[in-house]
Amino acid sequence: MNSKALYRDFPILDRKIHGKKLIYLDNAATTLKPKVVVESLKDLYYFHYSNVHRGIHTLASEATNLLEDTRRKIANFLNASPEEIIFTSGSTLSLNTIAHSLVKSGILREDSKVLVTTVEHHANFVPWQRLSKIYNYKLLYARPTGRMGTILIEDFEKFIKEEPDVVAVTGASNVTGQRLLIKRIREMFEKSILVVDGAQLVPHTKVNVKELDLDFLVFSGHKMLGPTGIGILYGKKELLEKMEPFLYGGEMIDKVTLEDTTFNILPYKFEAGTPNLAGAVGLAKAIEYLENIGMNELENHIKELTDYAINELMNLDFVELYGPLDETQYGIISFNLDGVHPHDVAHFLDESFGIAIRTGHHCAQPLMLELSSKSRLDFPNATCRASFYVYNTKEDVDALVEGLKNVKRWLG
Amino acid sequence: MMDLYSEIIVDYAKLKKYKKRMDDADTVREGVNLSCGDEIKLYVKVRDGKMESLSFEGKGCIVSQASTNLMIERVLGEPLENIHEILENVKRMVKGEEYDKNLLKNVSIMENIRSYPNRVKCFMLAWRTLEDALKELDRG
Repeated sequence: MNSKALYRDFPILDRKIHGKKLIYLDNAATTLKPKVVVESLKDLYYFHYSNVHRGIHTLASEATNLLEDTRRKIANFLNASPEEIIFTSGSTLSLNTIAHSLVKSGILREDSKVLVTTVEHHANFVPWQRLSKIYNYKLLYARPTGRMGTILIEDFEKFIKEEPDVVAVTGASNVTGQRLLIKRIREMFEKSILVVDGAQLVPHTKVNVKELDLDFLVFSGHKMLGPTGIGILYGKKELLEKMEPFLYGGEMIDKVTLEDTTFNILPYKFEAGTPNLAGAVGLAKAIEYLENIGMNELENHIKELTDYAINELMNLDFVELYGPLDETQYGIISFNLDGVHPHDVAHFLDESFGIAIRTGHHCAQPLMLELSSKSRLDFPNATCRASFYVYNTKEDVDALVEGLKNVKRWLG
Repeated sequence: MMDLYSEIIVDYAKLKKYKKRMDDADTVREGVNLSCGDEIKLYVKVRDGKMESLSFEGKGCIVSQASTNLMIERVLGEPLENIHEILENVKRMVKGEEYDKNLLKNVSIMENIRSYPNRVKCFMLAWRTLEDALKELDRG
């Protein structure tokens, strides 16, 4: 894949940071936006904008068609049907919707069991934990016993006999980049409702919800070249039909009387309020852009970069690497420098080399605890994280490695 | 090179002098920077209205470690009312407002923290913890 040829599609890559060319390695937090996505928003607001579903006039029907075209496009992308695609603001709202709706519908109740892992992003951890306190279901934790935060199939196997009602797992860790074997997890927990947090998975690979037999899949648009504020909740039709909506309001109703309210059909039952039309249109454009590149091409490119970076970083004796470091690690590398705090690493890389990486606990404090117990360093409860996307190159990795050598020389 | 990582600031960050437990402290106050996980434990001993001893344990970035050592160096031996005055001036300094450089002495070598809003929390961790400790002592 020729990543350099894509540069002209991303105007922000022309920016200078402290006089240096920007090297953007914070893609797991959010990706940059290509011109076609930004222009699709402009085109919508300039020429086709109106509220959806309500009006009779021309603009209202254009806007409605745009939203429903987008829904079909995303349904095709996931091999789902359009009524199973719900627009949300992002993975966080999608996961909250699932968890809250399951308890409100009584599908999760006092004697139920929910299995999560301790490598989850807080968005797929805190909702299940907090609701377990209120609704008294049992929360089970699968902990990573593999290399530095790597979760193994055995770590799940021990919970098969528990027969959890819900299994909520990440498709790929936002800290270690480990892709979980969702197919195996599905086979192990045949009868459980399987919720997959795809925030770090869907941007990197084609996910077929029917083939994997997922009950729920969530992801965010902004991590795959789309705008912020748009996300997707895929849910199996027969489950969504049984579920009470999480949010109430306009559009999601059928008939409202003083006594009670009946609900709209799927997917509108779960879309209370005016949807983020521009976000949806931008996300559809982003998916189109990614499909033009080819999801397989993209996946191979990112894997190649990841392996290259792991090898280069392994040569630095002052770097401690987290995660599996094997064929299951995609797009994300977490590490620490011996004797230098991650904040100082990130600050130095930015100011001296124009390199953007992420540092902190990455919204995964339980995983930081796991790493802390395995680290040979004085673990700072945080890591440095470099993450790649379509426009990154081996030169970016080389710049990172050179930058880290300088950080160590200056601050270590 | 970079304002925040000048040799003198890095040296302050690595200073060991004040990094120790104190068994006879009047109060021990913990502070946490939630955005990065930095933690500090501040041991405070006041005698006759003056800061007699001050030390800390904890880990963190260069900004937070240097700031802690500069703070301890500056406030040791000072009457509490002066420390409150110093604290107010430190807050003004990080906000980019006018402040009394002579009063802050060496602390002002980190004046440029004002240009890095993302790092102000790191810088302020020790100062906020000290402020909390003094309030606690004040309440008795």
